[in-house]
Amino acid sequence: MSFGEYVVSRWDTLSLAAAEHAMVVAIAMAVATAVGVLIGLLFYDSPRARGGAIAASAAVLTVPSLALLTLLIPITGLGWGSTLVALTAYAFLPIIRNTVTGLRGLDAATVEAGRGMGLSRTRVLLQVQLPLAWPLILTGVRVSAQMLIGIAAIAAFVDGPGLGTQIFEGLSRLGSVNSLNATLAGTLGIVVVAILFDLFFFAVSRLTTPRGLRVRS
Amino acid sequence: MFDRDTEGVRIELRSLTKHYPGQPAPAVDDVTLDIPAGELVVLVGPSGCGKTTTMKMINRLVEPSSGEIRIGGQDVLGLNPDQLRRHIGYAIQQVGLFPHQTVAQNIGLVPKLLGWSADRINARVEELLSLVSLEPSLFRDRYPRQLSGGQQQRVGVARALAADPPVMLMDEPFGATDPITREHLQNEFARLQKQLRKTIIFVTHDFEEAIKLGDRIAILRERSHIAQYDTPAAILAAPADDYVAGFIGQDGTLKRLALLSVADVTPALPPDTRLPQVSADASLREALDLMLSHGTDKCSSPTGVLTYASLCEAVGAPAEAVVSGDR
Repeated sequence: MSFGEYVVSRWDTLSLAAAEHAMVVAIAMAVATAVGVLIGLLFYDSPRARGGAIAASAAVLTVPSLALLTLLIPITGLGWGSTLVALTAYAFLPIIRNTVTGLRGLDAATVEAGRGMGLSRTRVLLQVQLPLAWPLILTGVRVSAQMLIGIAAIAAFVDGPGLGTQIFEGLSRLGSVNSLNATLAGTLGIVVVAILFDLFFFAVSRLTTPRGLRVRS
Repeated sequence: MFDRDTEGVRIELRSLTKHYPGQPAPAVDDVTLDIPAGELVVLVGPSGCGKTTTMKMINRLVEPSSGEIRIGGQDVLGLNPDQLRRHIGYAIQQVGLFPHQTVAQNIGLVPKLLGWSADRINARVEELLSLVSLEPSLFRDRYPRQLSGGQQQRVGVARALAADPPVMLMDEPFGATDPITREHLQNEFARLQKQLRKTIIFVTHDFEEAIKLGDRIAILRERSHIAQYDTPAAILAAPADDYVAGFIGQDGTLKRLALLSVADVTPALPPDTRLPQVSADASLREALDLMLSHGTDKCSSPTGVLTYASLCEAVGAPAEAVVSGDR
């Protein structure tokens, strides 16, 4: 069976796996973005708190994904639960780091002018600092998403959703008729999902970056 | 609040002190200053003398350690700081326009916070842009990054004026521009203030700018101690001590001549068309420059003939002494 024939014959399985792969990453990203940006907003101004948040999210990233997924089985079981928890945990570092960097990197005069005009601290944060830091925050989110799409393949190890199943299948039946096709289909599928995500973020970035930051003098 | 009137109100600072924790000496030490309604008072002093800290205590961007601040008789320290700041114009050297908002949105920010209607804000934005010599139709929808430095500073001043506050705080608002643009902005601003009569506290380290714009000047030493507080002419004529004299430099008399105009002097003779001509609103310094460049001791203006002796008299130097060469 050629690769093409393999893909056609397994189209239903493959497309479902790809959709699940995208879905699990999307959910984990949504949670991590909401929580990560919030952590950044709350802690960016305190050296101790932001240092702690960044160190903690970096520490999580040093745990091998295989080990983290295994450790989660007793708590969140096999399948979607453990996959989502692990992916969300891995997504934090780029998001928190870029949120903090973006908020801190602003021109101090902009913040001072806002305060001097009578905007409260919260208003300055949400109406001035957040929109100005947004392009950098979005870059962090994009990096996280690309990273998760790769890591999500390992989720098959704990019976999780996604294209990882194809790769593991190929690995477990090495040398048999379709082992190479299965691995190839899983890998290429992940590449396609990654490209689609990046296109999505490109569109989001175009639509949500304030126009005043895109204009040239 | 104190701004039922949009014309200036009086500001009183009483024993105002700022002591940052962990520092041996206060940054601002026991400042007492009265700023009359509708006047522009310049705080001038070297970097780090506490002039900006003094100014920022008035809108409470810096909380005073002790002392009292009254604006239009009202105790400022008893007010909500954010509410207070919406009623005080604020312009700074780095301007600090919001890059993600248009010029119109930047200017309309405080009026919006104060709950003005959209129509009223629009009308106000147009009025202010014209006031600072920016064509509204060209500039209202631009973004700060599309403006030159001088244009940004104009928008900064317009933004500070937006809600027509009776009091404005300005921290070197023209500092970040090139000398030509700065001079232009200063002239425009002086003209504007003649019209608006706001009470303005203006911080600069540039004594020339202080003379040019100030109704009064407070010359500050370290810790914001006031070395002399008076009108520019009085400070130039009688510096309180060597520190003040150092600020004025070697050409105090020439600076005083620059403050007076040809129209301020009673002419010795009717206009004479054969003499070098100077305009009536030129400064006496320009008149002197003309005399020197023509090698004469007379020049004529539409109001009459001006002599070297009349210039000496204008700055209070007895003309006879000059003539007899005693000086």
